[in-house]
Amino acid sequence: MLEVKDLAVAFGSIAPLSGVTFSLAKGETLGIVGESGSGKSLTAMSIMGLLPMSDGRVTSGSIVFDGQELTTLNESDYCKLRGGRIGLITQNPMTSLDPLKKIGTQVDAVAILHLGMAKKKARANTVDILHTLRIPEPALICERYPHQMSGGMKQRIVIAMALAADPDLLIADEPTTALDVTVQAQIIRLLDDLVKQRGLALLLITHDMSVVAQTCDRVVVMYAGRAIEQGPVLDIFDNPQHPYTQALVGCIPRDLKDGEKLTSIPGTVPTVLNYPEGCKFHPRCTRAQNICTTVQPELDRNGDSAVACHFAGASI
Amino acid sequence: MSNLLEVRNLAKKFTSSGGAFRKARTMHAVNDVSFDLPEGRVIGVVGESGCGKSTLARLILRLIEPSAGTLHFNGEDLRAKTPAQMRDLRAHMQMVFQDPYSAIDPRYTIERAVLEPFLVQGVKPIDGAAAQVEALLNMVGLNPGLADRFPHQLSGGQKQRVGIARALALRPSLLVLDEPTASLDVSVQAQIIGLLEQLRDELGLTYLFISHDLSLVRYFCDEILVMYLGRVVEVLPDTNGQACHPYTITLMNSTFVPDPKHRRVIRPLEGEVPSPFDLKPGCAFADRCPQVSEICRAETPELSKHSGHLVACHNPI
Repeated sequence: MLEVKDLAVAFGSIAPLSGVTFSLAKGETLGIVGESGSGKSLTAMSIMGLLPMSDGRVTSGSIVFDGQELTTLNESDYCKLRGGRIGLITQNPMTSLDPLKKIGTQVDAVAILHLGMAKKKARANTVDILHTLRIPEPALICERYPHQMSGGMKQRIVIAMALAADPDLLIADEPTTALDVTVQAQIIRLLDDLVKQRGLALLLITHDMSVVAQTCDRVVVMYAGRAIEQGPVLDIFDNPQHPYTQALVGCIPRDLKDGEKLTSIPGTVPTVLNYPEGCKFHPRCTRAQNICTTVQPELDRNGDSAVACHFAGASI
Repeated sequence: MSNLLEVRNLAKKFTSSGGAFRKARTMHAVNDVSFDLPEGRVIGVVGESGCGKSTLARLILRLIEPSAGTLHFNGEDLRAKTPAQMRDLRAHMQMVFQDPYSAIDPRYTIERAVLEPFLVQGVKPIDGAAAQVEALLNMVGLNPGLADRFPHQLSGGQKQRVGIARALALRPSLLVLDEPTASLDVSVQAQIIGLLEQLRDELGLTYLFISHDLSLVRYFCDEILVMYLGRVVEVLPDTNGQACHPYTITLMNSTFVPDPKHRRVIRPLEGEVPSPFDLKPGCAFADRCPQVSEICRAETPELSKHSGHLVACHNPI
């Protein structure tokens, strides 16, 4: 459904993203995890063709969606895809909705624009979708304004907008970060059901490893603008090969035995202006050797998994 | 072990002013909260947004005035203190805030920010200002060379360390931590939690740790208070204890376990937290509770012992 190969993005002379490769099939949930500044959201924005700032551009690599190359697509064709066949759910539902328009009008607009529905039919479609999202009294909700709703409800409306044109791919960029745990559970459950029932492909971008553990089939781990490891979710958690993934998994407060401590990674994530030479993780890595300071390791594919490290392997 | 902090029936009401067409409304942000915090222990407070966690933290330091109840710190009645006496006492009880971005004045250098508590309290740093700043920055694992930087030159984790250094400047015995890692990445969170553990052992600190992250609280705390709409609904004396309150159980079931081997069907709580204004009588959780019975809508349950710990529920599980 979606195939991203060796994607690199630059803003002028700054290159925040390079060597990002992954693929996503129908009915699959792929998680992209990483810390702030690792390039997760930038990857999503590149796929949507929404790179911020006028000089941001894809410098190399390809993004193929359902057989169609996206990096060379012109703007008007992109507009048909966006919101049509690719739906986007953003992090902050408070800013994704127009405060001056009724909920119904906003969701209708998607179907009117992309599916060419008449107003009445679009409204019926909207009510239908709100109903599947388990929103009580959908017809009534359509007449409300965003400020009259809670955060969890607004996020559902944003999901409804993403679904209104019956997309094939859904990109969810930190969909539950702004929400409470109980609401988060409701929303994630909803997304999970949608993938199973409609055969959607879901690209879930998050920094929350527990959300990944509970929902994703496969995971891509990003660090400093590169995809450094990917594989089935079980392998990433139980048998990670990259030292960064191992450290990241160790940072999660799981049910530790008495006296056992959380491990932490010394140092801080480099910013795009001071990316180190060679492997970008080497200043913080316990396995770093001379070669790591000069040569950038390439993604080494092994079946369904891939890792970019000179000394990849289970932890000692 | 003596109790460092004793809280009894603490409450805070906020009243909105009425107008020509509007009735004044009362919101019970914190309602009848009692607990003891023994020296050296770490108590965690969990709950969803709006349950009164942060209000509770501010009430304990008397940053806002309680509407009712008593507060004893080291045996002294805090509510009887004058503002000046309270300020002196706050040298012993400090707070670390959720948002390290807004907790530090952007125009202060790190050195000035760390020295601010001494200035406020009118205390001279023991071996001179520069040495004190160096010692404090070292203590929280920061390079003392950062002293002449400004907050915007630091990362979120570094700023939170500065926040902790400021709180520790006057050697307090109680630290109230209001979601200290909520805005940080997991790897930075692990660093901050590691630092807090180390400081507790070295300086004999007592923590009140406020968080919405149940797995973090279970890892870090000795005892957990679960709050719902301003009330403590359950006190879990040890973090592996079996919960009895239907709300605690739902909260635990909604929490994702970071382990793909233990996937479970999550039965999320339907409905939403009711408005805290003008609460109906009875248990606040009644409308969403699977165990609800007639008495729940009539009488507010009090905290009482059930299978070894305190629960406020008519039909505990």
